[in-house]
Order: sequence, then C-alpha cells, then structure tokens
Amino acid sequence: MPHTATPLHQLPKGARATIVDIASHSHFGELDAQVTQRLKELGFLPGAVLQVIGFGLFGADPVAVRINGTKFGLRRSEAAKILTSVHPA
Amino acid sequence: MSSSLLRFALVGNPNCGKTALFNCLTGARAKVANYAGVTVEKRLGSLAGLGRPAELIDLPGTYSLYVASPDEQVARRVILGEMAGEAAPDVLVAVVDATNIKLGLRLVLELQALGLPMILALNLADTARSRGITIDTAMLSQQLGMPVVETVAVRKNGVADLQTALAQCARTAGSRSGRLALPERAEAVEHLYARIDTLLASSVSAPSHAPAWQDRLDALVMHPVLGLVLLATILLLMFQAVFAWAAPVMDAIDGSMAWLGETVGSLLPAGILHDFVVDGLIAGVGGVLVFLPQIIILFAFILALEDSGYLPRAAFLLDRLMRGVGLSGRSFIPMLSSFACAVPGIMSTRSIADPKERLLTILTAPLMTCSARLPVYALVIGAFVPQHTVWGVFNLQGLTLFALYVAGIVSAALVAWVMRGRQVVSQGFPLLLELPNYRWPNAYHFALGLKERAWIFLRRVGTIILALSIVLWFLATFPHAPVGATLPAIEYSFAGMLGKLMQPLFDPLGFNWQMCIALIPAMAAREVAVSALATVYAVGGEDALGGALAHDWALPVALAYLAWFVYAPQCLATIAVVRRETNSRQATVIFTAYLFGLAYLGALLVRHIAALWA
Repeated sequence: MPHTATPLHQLPKGARATIVDIASHSHFGELDAQVTQRLKELGFLPGAVLQVIGFGLFGADPVAVRINGTKFGLRRSEAAKILTSVHPA
Repeated sequence: MSSSLLRFALVGNPNCGKTALFNCLTGARAKVANYAGVTVEKRLGSLAGLGRPAELIDLPGTYSLYVASPDEQVARRVILGEMAGEAAPDVLVAVVDATNIKLGLRLVLELQALGLPMILALNLADTARSRGITIDTAMLSQQLGMPVVETVAVRKNGVADLQTALAQCARTAGSRSGRLALPERAEAVEHLYARIDTLLASSVSAPSHAPAWQDRLDALVMHPVLGLVLLATILLLMFQAVFAWAAPVMDAIDGSMAWLGETVGSLLPAGILHDFVVDGLIAGVGGVLVFLPQIIILFAFILALEDSGYLPRAAFLLDRLMRGVGLSGRSFIPMLSSFACAVPGIMSTRSIADPKERLLTILTAPLMTCSARLPVYALVIGAFVPQHTVWGVFNLQGLTLFALYVAGIVSAALVAWVMRGRQVVSQGFPLLLELPNYRWPNAYHFALGLKERAWIFLRRVGTIILALSIVLWFLATFPHAPVGATLPAIEYSFAGMLGKLMQPLFDPLGFNWQMCIALIPAMAAREVAVSALATVYAVGGEDALGGALAHDWALPVALAYLAWFVYAPQCLATIAVVRRETNSRQATVIFTAYLFGLAYLGALLVRHIAALWA
C-alpha cells in the first residue's frame, strides 16, 4: 500500500484520516515525550480515525478535530506530531 | 458498622458534569474552602442519608494521574492523600460522561489500579440514550468489578441510584488513614485503550454520534470570522445587560434604602446616633448593596457561558490572537473570570501548563474590569454621561462602560506584549483543548452558583464594607467642626485632614481631597469608594450622590478618576493572591508598582486630553 503519512495540520477541513503514528517534534523540546503521552491519553493513538472540523482565525492554527466522538482544539505544532493516512473523499 | 466519617471523592474528566452532580448530591450543604497551603478551591459537602456521617469532595477535572497540569496535580495529590493534613479518600466516585465514555473510562482504569473502593457514575445518561447509545450497566459493572450507575445530574431524581450505591458502599467501606503510592504506570496507553474497546464491545452499543445541530452550531461558533463577531456580540450584550436590565431593581433598592434612612432617621432623635445610623450605616452599606443586581447579571452570563460549553470554543478562536502577546487560548478563561473577580481568575490560571504564560496571565488578569469596579464606574458614568441613545440601539452610558472594559483588555494585551519582551519561544507547551458538547445549563446548578456569588457579595457588604463604613463615618465626623466654623464640618475631620495630606500627590490628576480619601478604603474593596464618597459628601442614595459629584467634579477629572480605577491595584485581596500564586515577592512588587504607575499615568493623560477636548 503506497503510504505517505500526512501530518494532521496539513489536512483540509472536513478530511477524515486514520492516525498512523505520533512523531516527535523539536518544538516541544524536552517536554516532547509528555506531549506525546498526553495526546495518546486523549485518544490520539495509531489506528484511531479523526476528522478535521475547523480552523482558527489565522492559517489553520489552531485546528479542531473530532476523535472518538470528542472534539479537541490543537495547535499547528501539536497537530504536526500526528501523522495520518487520509481517507479518500 | 462504624460511625467514623467516611470520605468520598468525585473524580472525572473536565466537562463531565461532575460539579453539577456534586451540587445534586450535597445540595445547599456544600461549602467552599481552600486546601491548606494552596489556594485551590476545595468544594466539600456532607452526604445525608447514608446511615453514617459522610462527606463528598469535588476534585478539579483531570484526564490522567500521570501527566499533569498544576490543576490536575491537585486532584492527584488529594486522591493519593498527599495534601497536608488530609488522608486519601475512602471511596472514589468516578464520573464519566456517558456520551464520551472512552476518554472517561481510561481514567477509571488508571484509578482502579490504586485499589480504592470505587463507584462508577455514568453521567448525562439521558443525553446518551437520546443519541442511541445503550449501555449495559450490569455487564459493565461485572467486567469492571465495581458498581456502575446511570445519573442525570439535570434531573431531581437523576441521582437516586447513585445515592443507593453510596449508601451500600457506606455499609461496607471502612475509613482509612494515610497515603497511597502511585503505582508505576502498569500498562501502556495503547493497552488501556485496547482493554476499553473490549469492554465497550460487550456492554455498549451504537457509536457515539453528536446530533447534527451540535456540528452546525460549531460551524458558526468556531467560524474564524462569524465566530469572532458572535463573541463580540455576546460580550457587548453582557455589558449592555449589566447596565440596562439591572436598572429597575437597582432603583427599587435605592428607593427602599432612602426610605429606610428616612424612616429610621425620623424615629431617632437628632444627634450623634442619628447621624451614625443614617449617614454611616444605611448610606454606606446601601450605597454598595445597590449594585447586587448588576453583579448577579454579570455572574449569570459567565456561569451560563461556562456551563453551555461555549468558553473553550472562545479560547480556541482567540488562541492565535493571544499567542501574539505571549498568552494563549488557555489564558482566556482566567481572563473572563477576572471580569467577575480577579481572585478566582488568578486561581484558575493553574490550568495553564507553561509557567511563563501563567505568570503573564496572573500579572495582567487584574486589568480585566472586575465586578467591584462596577459600582465606581456606574456611579461616575451615571453622574457624568448622558442617557443618549446612539445608533438607535445602544445607550451612551452602556457604551462608555464598554469602552472602559475595552481599555482594560487592550492594556492587558499591551502589557503582556511588553513584558514578554524579546524572549524567543524555545519550547512550546501544548494547547490540547477539549471542546465539550454543547448543553443547556442545568437550572439548579446555575441557581446554586448564582446564590453562592450573591452570598459572597452580601457577606462582604455585611462584614468588610460595614466595618469600613463605620470607620469612615468616624473619620468623617470627628473631630467636630469648631464653634463658628464657616466651612463644611467634614473639612475639620480626620478624613478631611487625611485627604488633604494626600491631595498634593494627586493634584496633577485633578483629584480633590474627597476623591483622595475614597481611595484609602478602596484598597480593601474597590466598591467601598462609593460609600466613602457618600460619607464624605454626606448624601445617601445613588442619585443624590451622583448629583453631588456632577456638581463638584469637572468632567476631565471624573474621567481621570475612571482611568485611575481601570489600572490601580486597588484590592489587597488580589495583591495577596498574586503573592501566593506566584510565590515571589519580586513578582508581587512588580505587579503592584506597574499597576499604580499605569494608573497615575493613565489618569494624568486622560485628564489633559479630555481638558483639551472639552
């Protein structure tokens, strides 16, 4: 399966995608492992399906997603950690 | 079996309706205190009808025992019995939003590893049912090995099952003492979720799907442009309501205070006692009491916005904007609470994980116009700003008030931006904001919250404001004017002397000595400035006082006085809470100094600009 993972912050509004991995991100420095842990605790786990439902005022930041029936607001840098495989529209 | 006190603790995710459930279970028996050594509100209520004494603690909402914001750390420390002088609770009542069961169950499984007796309350069971979610509670209970009950905190009998479960638990549970150790994370999050999926597969049917109207509402509320227009409209409506809707009730209170003053005055013989009761007590306390309706309306808006699920969306919308000045969407909620009172606002900064951002929020939140400023603003605006209608809908007085609120907000943004300095953000803290389902605010919960706020205000009126009114009356009355004096008696009093002592300092701002003297008791509570002015001008009733001010103050000076109150840290309680929350003398000194400096500068500028204009 041709599998190019798209980071969450690059998904368009309305897109549905399956999480393939939570990557590390230099933005969070030494806290990165904690941020990954918290994302997982909130349900952002490989295999989970999410949908992009909206964006903040300036350039897709923050982004709002629905996962497991719950909505969350995430910043670009947090969203960039979440690698997804987009569902065909 | 035992008559020792049994301690239950309510634990759950933020937004699971935990506090509404707490209110249902404990009713009016709840009290709010602080944990020893920390300024986190501790909500405690006694539980009746369990056959033995029992109490319920409401803990801050938490997602996890392991990764924690300062707020969640409090929940964890209480659960583990690490709070000074408090043992771990005897029984955990885990609350899970039945429409959001997966997220909630993860915390439940984490809690279960602690080995405490537990009860699981599936809250919002009615909403879940209406969405087609069916939960086999018997099955879930069997698999989890703990009692599972459905609750509907909105309905009166919605907690009956939970009460039965609590009573059952009270018969068997013993009270414990001491601490618990947090076990090493027993299993990876992936495994926990896998277990939850298995659990849910056998006991819960139908996927949770929010009704379409929720999504449609979000499309509007979270729209980058329309959402901001809506937010501005809500805030404007809030301030308009505070001014326009409260007026009839305020007039009624004002009228009855005037009547009381006259009636009591006519019963007492002329003399010192008469003056004390009429000018000291009734005028002083009545002058502040009259603002109760405005404060109730303001809190009603804040409570409704909070309970409906709107606030996190506003935080989402404003995040990018607030990040520009070194804050974030998370700072929005403390900021909004600070419109009611900076003290709870500053305490709620504990949900901000980034220490720098938290400090910035603490230092700037008191620039939001708190309800104690409202009486001062209302008095001065009422006396100096005409009741024009602008653009057909807005009242000029309401607009002026709005402008004062905006001045506070803009100043906070500028101050945060300046204080952030050139610091490069090296490390980010995540936003990760849950956007909960919209719900109708629970009427009982709402009423109880309002009652609590009204009661806090009335208690202030009855204690600190009453005491200060008496002190002020004394200062304004003694020593008496000498025989044959030509000036008003107050000029010879202690208050007169003190005011005149301060006046040279405030002369550049145009403040007269009466305005100066009112600033002293306002340090204890800003709204006392109103009763202080009533006492020094020796008039009762808001209208009469307004008339006296309009006669005595020039317009630019009145506006300068307003500007002073926009900035001045005229509240010892706020300074004290800044000291405790920052735990830094330096930060507290900076806080106090920069606000007094801004107040002086602001008042000076306003006076001169307004004088040019007028």
